[in-house]
Amino acid sequence: MDILQLLTYASGVIFVVFFARKLLKYWTMPMHVRWELYPVPHEGKEWGGSFYEDVDHWKKTRHVDHVAQYRFMVPEILFIRALYEDNRPLWRWTFPFHLGLYLSIGGLVFLAIGALLQIAGRAPDASGLAALAQSLTIIFGVIGFALGTIGAVGLIVKRLTDPMLKDYTSGLDLLNLFWLGAIFVTGFLVWLSDPGFAVSRGYLASLLTFSPGPSLGGMQIINLLLFIGFWAYFPFTHMTHMISKYFMWDKVKWDDMPNRGDAGMDSKIKAYLSYPVSWSGAHIGAEGGKKSWAEVATTNPWAQPQKEEK
Amino acid sequence: MRPEEISKPGERLEYLDPKKLAPLPPPYDDLEEEPITELTEEQKKKWEHSLDGVSALNLPRPETKEEEDKLVLAFLRGYEKLVSKENNWAFLQPLSLSLEYCARCQTCADACPVYEMSGHKDIYRPTFRSDVLRKIGKKYLSPGGKILAGFRGHDIDLKWETIARLAELAYRCTLCRRCTQVCPIGVDNGLITHELRKIFSMEMGIAPMEVHEKGSVKHLQFGSSTGMIKAAIEDIIEYLEDDIEEKTGKRIKIPVNKKGAEILLVHNAGEFMAWPENPMAFAVLFDAAGISYTLSTEFVGYDAVNYGLWYDDVQFARVAIKHLEVARDLGVKKIVIGECGHAHKALSVIADRLLPSEQMIPRESSYALLWDIVKSGKIKFDPNKNDFPVTLHDPCNVVRLMGVVKPQREILKAITPPGRFREMTPHGVNNYCCGGGSGFAIMGSGNFPEWRVKLSGRKKLTQYLNAFQGEMDPSIKKMICAPCSNCKGMTRDLMEHYEIFEKTGIWYTGLVELMVNAMVDQEKPFITWPDEDEDM
Ligand code: SF4
Ligand code: SF4
Repeated sequence: MDILQLLTYASGVIFVVFFARKLLKYWTMPMHVRWELYPVPHEGKEWGGSFYEDVDHWKKTRHVDHVAQYRFMVPEILFIRALYEDNRPLWRWTFPFHLGLYLSIGGLVFLAIGALLQIAGRAPDASGLAALAQSLTIIFGVIGFALGTIGAVGLIVKRLTDPMLKDYTSGLDLLNLFWLGAIFVTGFLVWLSDPGFAVSRGYLASLLTFSPGPSLGGMQIINLLLFIGFWAYFPFTHMTHMISKYFMWDKVKWDDMPNRGDAGMDSKIKAYLSYPVSWSGAHIGAEGGKKSWAEVATTNPWAQPQKEEK
Repeated sequence: MRPEEISKPGERLEYLDPKKLAPLPPPYDDLEEEPITELTEEQKKKWEHSLDGVSALNLPRPETKEEEDKLVLAFLRGYEKLVSKENNWAFLQPLSLSLEYCARCQTCADACPVYEMSGHKDIYRPTFRSDVLRKIGKKYLSPGGKILAGFRGHDIDLKWETIARLAELAYRCTLCRRCTQVCPIGVDNGLITHELRKIFSMEMGIAPMEVHEKGSVKHLQFGSSTGMIKAAIEDIIEYLEDDIEEKTGKRIKIPVNKKGAEILLVHNAGEFMAWPENPMAFAVLFDAAGISYTLSTEFVGYDAVNYGLWYDDVQFARVAIKHLEVARDLGVKKIVIGECGHAHKALSVIADRLLPSEQMIPRESSYALLWDIVKSGKIKFDPNKNDFPVTLHDPCNVVRLMGVVKPQREILKAITPPGRFREMTPHGVNNYCCGGGSGFAIMGSGNFPEWRVKLSGRKKLTQYLNAFQGEMDPSIKKMICAPCSNCKGMTRDLMEHYEIFEKTGIWYTGLVELMVNAMVDQEKPFITWPDEDEDM
């Protein structure tokens, strides 16, 4: 096993561990109070209404319109519709960038399928299925690299020149874009030197079978190092917003689940009310963490026999 | 301006030139506006004002460097608590997501009425204050935060000026969450402002006097943020019965503390004082529709407001728990919330996961119940009695933040002649805040009220005017229906400042007043215009 293979495994392990840690961090956070924002698509009311529009809403069966939710989410995920509608000048660059990213990841998936087929003894020149996987790798990869490059360059220029964005762009933001752009460009150059991605497929197959890999060309090594470096770094960045979007939309903006006697919800609320409070504001009266939420919330420091205010 | 510049020395970070504010529609298109009045020299000496020359908090300047450092440390301690499970379980997940994932694309900027109407002043960008908070967290609270801080984009200085300006900046956002609606990631700058206010209040004891001492504290001390005690509200309710008789010719008994009633109706107590026609109209409608309801005059039960919603979770919880207790003691089946937007959201949405379900009482919007009354046909309405152009203001708390959009529109369509009701652009869940949200409508110290009518209310004023373009002649009376106490308060201030009725004939009222005005058996008009003699 050579050093590149070791680095690739290490990068994969770092990605999985830290990405999972991040997901876990959000999964295990306490249930928050309701903080939804309308329109909530699963309410199924195109004017943005909610169950609160109905008299005695708690007596009615709650209707959750999943189709409406998907109708909203699919264009949002695929086309970044929010940005298309509200920030078209940025969408022009960020859409090709993200599409390039999705297609490149798609290309990698087809490359992995091709590698598995190769391990099973089905090379592209002898198997229709393997040839299809190869063609799809090329189509997804090449279009992805091209769009990703266009998007990355456009975003770098925009971030450096747009007065709205300039003051909100750090060196690290530019490095991230440059890094991803470099992966796209070198990926494209790899394709020029190896139009069927045969070497890359062979390398992936060697990783999957823990066997020595083919010798890689200079551009392939650069592309690989850029990629695995980014893969390991990614979970530590705000670029995981693809995933956080799920939490932010599904678990915050659209979480309108009412408290109607759900045992799980009740037991969570009871547990939270027993958490100690240590806010120092004098009016809180938390006594430095000696009081619980239930205690401070049911204490009225100003309680007195009623007197008219003077 | 970069968020880091919040810490730069100087008497003021931003100057507000009235000529740079977004222009208003006719007849105010050539209005020469005065600049916001400068604080007096004495006030300037006393109060922190180095953000934009405005003081909402009347924050005293520390006298020594030690005091300054103590406050900076208190802020950091509060920030740590804000991101801890124990102290902030209620908002930890949405806050952490919003702090961690902003892509700094600035899509939110143009959705913000304050930023837009200020003439795009950087300090009012939704991301400006959020980024300051983020950068402080990254640099001063994250392990290794100071390493390559400049390159990583969070090299912010932390000193008294930073904290003081941030405190003021926490009160330049109405928490309307329009910016959140357009964010492609879902980042919630309104929430970040809310949470920032919590650090100041819950850790450092800093909050606007009108919201805290004269607001939630009074509520818990006297029973109402207005300072009204039980005996006073009982007197007022009796007066209302007399006034109803005078206005409608009917003697109605307003039920009070009636055990076994189905509904506890709660009003913003400010209505009893500033707009008594509103609780009167509710009484007339509920009586006519045969609704089984009661008002409460028990401690806290006669004031639906909950100012804690805007700045302090503990104050919020204390008041919400009292509201629920009062309803439980009366044995009602549900609480119906009158025309008060933030009370809607506080009691219906936010308080929903405050207590285990066995201690909860169902809560309902009065808009939904009123629409039900209209549909039931129990009351006959004659739309021709409201024969004037009417537009509808959507209170953010009821509409964007709670999803009650349709009932109020359907009611207006049913009680106005065809073609008289017109929508603002945009409306419904995409509405603009009245400019008085999150406590602004009641905050009146220093020169903040001027900032409010010139900036945070400017977009709504633009919408009000645009709704009636072509009919601007003051002799054509036009009505804004603003079914929320705070929104009415803000609208009243806009009316006064810009002399809107005198110049355009536009006036404002609530929803129930328009309903009673249209009742077939209502002989005299229930609504009065400012140029009419009430006794006519
Ligand atoms: S809050 Fe959202 S819209 Fe605003 S800059 Fe951040 S990611 Fe963009
Ligand atoms: S919540 Fe409203 S006022 Fe505050 S930043 Fe967002 S859009 Fe502006």
